[in-house]
Amino acid sequence: MNDGEISIEGGGSTANQESEYEGVILNPHAQVCLQQLLRVWLGFERDLSKVPLLRRIDLGTYTVQDHQIFLRNIRQQVIEGSRWITRTASSFDRDHSEIRSTIISHAVDEHRDYEMLEKDYVASGGQLEDILNMERNIGSEALHGFLMHRSSRPNPIDLLGAMWIIEGLGEKMANSWAERIQELTGLSEDSTRFMTYHGENDSDHMQRFYATLNSVCVNEKAIKSIVKTSKVVARLYRLQLEEIEYDIQ
Amino acid sequence: MTVYITSTGSFLPGPAITVDQVENVLGAVNGKPSSLRVQIQKANKIETRHYAIDEQQKTTHSNTEMATNAAEQCLDRAFAHREKIGMLAVASTQGDLPAPGMASMVQAELELPEIEILTTHGICSSSIMALKAAWNSLRLEEHEAALVVSSELASRLLKKQRYEAATTSTFAAKRIDFSTEFLRWMLSDGAGALLLENKPAPKGLSLRIDWIRGFSHAHALPTCMSVGSAGRPEDTRTWQDYDTYAEAEQDGALLLRQDVRLLDNLMRMGVDGYLRLVEEGVSKPGEVDHFLCHYSSHHFRNKILEMLDTAGAGIPEEKWWTNLYTRGNTGSASLFIMLDEFLRTDEVTVKEGDKVLCFVPESGRFNTTYLQLTVVSE
Repeated sequence: MNDGEISIEGGGSTANQESEYEGVILNPHAQVCLQQLLRVWLGFERDLSKVPLLRRIDLGTYTVQDHQIFLRNIRQQVIEGSRWITRTASSFDRDHSEIRSTIISHAVDEHRDYEMLEKDYVASGGQLEDILNMERNIGSEALHGFLMHRSSRPNPIDLLGAMWIIEGLGEKMANSWAERIQELTGLSEDSTRFMTYHGENDSDHMQRFYATLNSVCVNEKAIKSIVKTSKVVARLYRLQLEEIEYDIQ
Repeated sequence: MTVYITSTGSFLPGPAITVDQVENVLGAVNGKPSSLRVQIQKANKIETRHYAIDEQQKTTHSNTEMATNAAEQCLDRAFAHREKIGMLAVASTQGDLPAPGMASMVQAELELPEIEILTTHGICSSSIMALKAAWNSLRLEEHEAALVVSSELASRLLKKQRYEAATTSTFAAKRIDFSTEFLRWMLSDGAGALLLENKPAPKGLSLRIDWIRGFSHAHALPTCMSVGSAGRPEDTRTWQDYDTYAEAEQDGALLLRQDVRLLDNLMRMGVDGYLRLVEEGVSKPGEVDHFLCHYSSHHFRNKILEMLDTAGAGIPEEKWWTNLYTRGNTGSASLFIMLDEFLRTDEVTVKEGDKVLCFVPESGRFNTTYLQLTVVSE
């Protein structure tokens, strides 16, 4: 049991992360962009603590039922996630073939993640048909609508801002939530596999992210569009978690 | 009006207490050595610290006395006459008396007549609140000089008797209760004082205050470090809601708690605030010559370094300076004690024109404060 204690070995994970960053040297525009993206992320992460369902993780009152509600509400976005990512890939022209390849391989990694999430739901005591029958909640509609709109535009590099938020959240789920949820609810690892699996892959994804950011974020305009899209996605993602449908449809 | 720190002072009670002696002073709860002590001490890397209680847990110095001693040292070193002091601002997490404010008590000890006083209440950042108010008061030209003092006597909260009395608390119920024990092996006692004036000292180095900023995130984040509740999410009572104070103590409502799970938020908000100042052009990482960061534990130093580096706003490690490891974590007094030694230590060369960035985060409910000083000489 992790009783909130901090690791004292010091080194391990920190050292790994540093060497991962070392692989990519960012151009000055990409560096400024990353600085601003980090602030968008930190604000997003802080404001997630205000979302009633997630606040229960912080306060220690999160229950099995809350976990089921969470999974039911997030599944639609996970399914749609693979759609906007593949759409994004197809919107890049021949001058952007490198980024297109990166995005395609990313989509392959994740496009069936929702099946894992469904298994988690059943393992936490939910009925499969209940999660399959869920519609997008109001926030998921807004988020999906925005992402499909942006990804349909030619060379939508601003969607790096969307990936930044969504990948960051994957890492947060794995590192901050999964174990804590098991501890609070008494559920086994089987119920948080979607969260933990996501974290395992996300460090590779971040590496690719930095490389892509470095190649496409080469002027002020690019910085602005990437940062703005990250802000919109952060707000709509939080909306999705605020607009939770508590009942089974 | 430009304002300068023209003198500093500090006071650390009693002898330096080594890692192995800590439990002799605070006492082993119910006669049993703690199973968490060594682990927590390894993580924070604090080698020596000071306590204002002895091995029988009797108070050797009151909080007011410590504050007064630091202030006296600061005034003894100053060129300015005491009569110039128009304001006294005092910060502490908990004064000797819940009321009146600690500044009244310190004023009485210092015998400063008819001055304006301010007591700030909070945790680590309360000293920066006091400093900012005093700075502003000089900027408005209401006073020519102000004394800012911060003092902490945490050990009275951490002595074994507090835990032994909490018989129905989460601490008594669990074999290991990290959130109530964590700070026992982190915090210690001490006081620091700064003299602010509207002109630099006639000799030696002064520190010009360039700016002081703070960002609090209590609107979004839950309470992380506190005294006054039993630490059960479903129980909304605070200490004065119990029928008797004895019941509050029994229930653990008077124990100092820190929800360490939430601490990462403090690093993140700390980095966020700094990036905001960089974005606004207030701070330029490349121009910082010395970085004095109040971190409670060595563990958090690496996290802050790593995040700042990722953002490209890193401050090279050789510019960081702290005395946490030898003077301990004295909460709100830490930065003042640090500044006092920083100006005198041989470990670092401080010269005219140097920019000193200071960062004091408070985990209570996530307040992050920053200030920049420039070294000047008359």
